[in-house]
Amino acid sequence: MKNLKLKSARAALDLSQEELAVKCGVSRQTISAIEKGDYNPTINLCITICRVLGKTLNDLFWED
Amino acid sequence: MNGISLGFVVGLMVAAVIVVCIYKYANKDGKVKTEYDERQKAIRGNAYRYAFYTEIFTQTLILWLLMSKIELPVENYALLFIGIIAGCTVLAGYCIWKDAYWGLNNNHRRYNIIIIVGIILNIFPVAMQAMSGTLIENGKIGMPMLNITVLVMMAVVYIEILIKRAVSKKAEAEEE
Repeated sequence: MKNLKLKSARAALDLSQEELAVKCGVSRQTISAIEKGDYNPTINLCITICRVLGKTLNDLFWED
Repeated sequence: MNGISLGFVVGLMVAAVIVVCIYKYANKDGKVKTEYDERQKAIRGNAYRYAFYTEIFTQTLILWLLMSKIELPVENYALLFIGIIAGCTVLAGYCIWKDAYWGLNNNHRRYNIIIIVGIILNIFPVAMQAMSGTLIENGKIGMPMLNITVLVMMAVVYIEILIKRAVSKKAEAEEE
């Protein structure tokens, strides 16, 4: 399932996938895979992404 | 230890030093070790598994050929290169297509230069021996088989890199 919350949070900060990837210490393809729902990140990477984007785990990774 | 064995050991030591220097040159941070993120590490784990299977399959096939007394135009010891290189090719290919080939600290341009130089350096001895007529001795290829297999591997890897780059650019444009 696509992670549109992550994509919109990234876009809200005007960050490209490459910029977010550098800030999180991962490759651009990994961010792309998470957004497309092709890869389930570990909790550590989820926390890193949340910190960079200023969001909580619920905001970005919890499905209602 | 005879001259050939000593030469082989010294050659390996020199090769190890060259490899360290190449890695230091090819990585952006000057480190020898390439860094990968968690997704890449997981994919590379699978890639090593497939490379292992490939090598086992290739070595078994070679063993069967040797036991069947089927004459091949390659020296028996040189056949071992094929299994090793086949495994390495599968490893690289799988990683390329799954976006786990390039590490976080790799300088792509420098790696491309190294691959091209590697291809040229492997063409050179094979071409020289082919021209002098010493490539095949007693109807069999010996040590030059190593150059040929490495050449094939590097060419395949480089072509895969180019194709993957073209495919990724198209996908990126659509994604944005």
